[in-house]
Amino acid sequence: MVLVSGIGYSNLSDMSFGRVLLSSLEKMRWPPDVRVEDLNFGPIMIYQWFEELPVKFEKAVFVHAAKRGRVPGTLEVYSWRKDLPGAAEIQLRIEEAVTGVISLDNLLIICKHFGVLPPEVTIVEIEPEKEDWGQDFSPAVAARVSEALELVRNEVLRTER
Amino acid sequence: MCFKNLPVEFDQAGNAYLKGGVADPYRYQPREIKRERLEELLARNGHIKDVTISPVTRVAGALSFHAVADLQERKFLEANSIATIFRGYEVILKGRDPRDAIFISSRACGVCGGVHSTAACEAIEMAFGIHPPPLGTTLRNLALALDFLYDHPLHLFLLAGPDYSQVVVEATNPAMWEKARVTEAPNAKIHNYKTIADIMKSLNPLSGKCYLDGLKMTRVPREAYAVLFGKYPHPQTVVPGGMSSTVTITDFNETYTRLHKMIDWTKRMIPLWDDLIDFFYDYNPEYKKLGARDMNLADLGMWDDPESYDATYQNCDEWGERRWATPGIIIDGELVTTKLRQINLGIEEFVEHSYYEDWNHNGKQRFQADPLGGPLSPNHPWNKETMPKPSKESWKDRYTWDTAPRWDRQVVEAGAYARIWTTAAARKMPKSDFMESTGHSLILRLPKTMMAEVDVEWRIPQVWNAFERNRARAYCMAYNLMTAFTMVLKGFDYLRKGEDKVSTGFEVPKDERIGVGFWGAGRGWLAHHLVLDKGSIVNYQITTPSTINASPRDPFGNPGPYEEAVLNTPILEDFSKPEDFTGVDMLRAIRSFDPCMPCTTHIYGGDREIVREVNTCACAAEG
Repeated sequence: MVLVSGIGYSNLSDMSFGRVLLSSLEKMRWPPDVRVEDLNFGPIMIYQWFEELPVKFEKAVFVHAAKRGRVPGTLEVYSWRKDLPGAAEIQLRIEEAVTGVISLDNLLIICKHFGVLPPEVTIVEIEPEKEDWGQDFSPAVAARVSEALELVRNEVLRTER
Repeated sequence: MCFKNLPVEFDQAGNAYLKGGVADPYRYQPREIKRERLEELLARNGHIKDVTISPVTRVAGALSFHAVADLQERKFLEANSIATIFRGYEVILKGRDPRDAIFISSRACGVCGGVHSTAACEAIEMAFGIHPPPLGTTLRNLALALDFLYDHPLHLFLLAGPDYSQVVVEATNPAMWEKARVTEAPNAKIHNYKTIADIMKSLNPLSGKCYLDGLKMTRVPREAYAVLFGKYPHPQTVVPGGMSSTVTITDFNETYTRLHKMIDWTKRMIPLWDDLIDFFYDYNPEYKKLGARDMNLADLGMWDDPESYDATYQNCDEWGERRWATPGIIIDGELVTTKLRQINLGIEEFVEHSYYEDWNHNGKQRFQADPLGGPLSPNHPWNKETMPKPSKESWKDRYTWDTAPRWDRQVVEAGAYARIWTTAAARKMPKSDFMESTGHSLILRLPKTMMAEVDVEWRIPQVWNAFERNRARAYCMAYNLMTAFTMVLKGFDYLRKGEDKVSTGFEVPKDERIGVGFWGAGRGWLAHHLVLDKGSIVNYQITTPSTINASPRDPFGNPGPYEEAVLNTPILEDFSKPEDFTGVDMLRAIRSFDPCMPCTTHIYGGDREIVREVNTCACAAEG
């Protein structure tokens, strides 16, 4: 099984990239073992959802936006293989999660800490330009939407089954 | 007579009027904050230290705290609570359809959205002149008792609990840890932790059993909440005049099953907190001063009696006193009123030390009186306007985005503990098989589950401090459970009688109307004051528990509740060098209030608020 999701807050211009693309991903046609899920809530709930789910995912593909000082609109795909931070940092992430913060970063760390994260995780990530209130993407980000959707599709299809 | 400071009196029929012969009755002269002596002490760079904790962790949202500590005398000389981010909900809501407030104000908090939706609905219902049918009210009550069954374990075991865990106690009070290791827990047979040290170990973050059970337990009430409200934390089913959910016997059965799951856990959890708190007091009675402040508390009550609630301001004293949580003001430990109207007339908000413009500068006051003719202060929420004025941080002048709400110009605090206190003291709650208000306690009858039936009794405390806040919150778990239980049984009754209507129709009025939602969040007091005209919101003001508790000094020179609690806190941690000082006692004091800063001040503000610094790494980028 492959899990697909887009993470981010609504109405935050480019920072909503994952959230906005999720609705397109939900409408796309996928193989039967692909599940597109809205996981835009506190990661503790996501950890508990993973834990309760009768099926286990071999892979997850997440789309989101992250500011890293690249050229706006830069689109990157990478495997998330990061080691877990120390206990104090994990505890901080849990505090944020239970008090309602939505964050892919927290989702990955918390789910990995509790041993429920799929073994393979791929991130499709865009560099934002506009980070304030707004329903529209900046031109640099808007120009990469189709490509990002295609990257997600490719990541899903190239998963070994 | 409930007011000591406001120029308001009441006639024999209970009608409020302004005291005669006072030229400008609400006028005051702001007191200047003097800190020259403090600045001189700090400049000597001795044992007087500036302590700034930013952000305060293990609280919801963006709170910073500044204090000046005398590490030799082991006390705090100055304390400033700082809400670091502006909240814009009042501004966002202006000019909108009133129904938008239900969904937009819910976003003020990522934990307790449903309480804002409900407070907004109650304000709208008052303004529209409608009210829900009994089953609609029952459903709201039930869902918002469930909400707190999520909120309280979260605080007790994930946010405040670690302050009393082995890892913290062993590092900050090694001698206490040694004592805990050899002290048997009096209630070990109930909670299964043999020693106090075992309890402390169970509170260790990430690994302790209580921490992990608390995390797990947050799921159960959330599931039940989602069955009734559609989703958590931002319901779409709370509507003016009731609810839009369709409920059946099955929904109530599903809720009932989940409540059962929580009862045994609650039976074990309450004596665990009793043992832990009593151990601290026995170890060093100075702990009774930790987070201590005057016994001044406020609560608006909640959980309406479905047969009494008619949403009118005219009858709010009557339906308010019929709530399962009785509204009330406690001053110096005494209950001075349970009447919602008196509570409402006594509220004022001040901004002398906040980043806001004084809205009274033009001398115009929108409302001189409430809908029954009672005098309203120009600083009352119905008259308030939110006018942000960012400026330089100054401990003498302005230092926070929070305001200073006061009741009768006195500093009151809000919390789940205020709710249980006013209810216990008032003896007004409706008759119930599971709950009894005695005037000095609240008895909660937890029915037989896997464990035997047990009565737990929360007693009005002799001292008021951080520990008693946490203890009361633990007992509130039983209070919430039994309220939810009562509502499930009421729901069954209504369905059995065929009273399955959950909402009533309405039209949006086009003339000027005002309303107020008197409600409660997990952390206590929640008021939504609303002014409508031509079908749109003209003014909307939200006062949350953390607006009250995190407030700065008021113009009368009184510190806000967090500030006062820290100023009264002795420094009891062990340290030999100033650099080893951790501030754990101060943090215990602040966290005991269960701060919720998103509710206090909230708008998108960068990495600490909604989107944090990313830790995912693109170094393995593949394309």
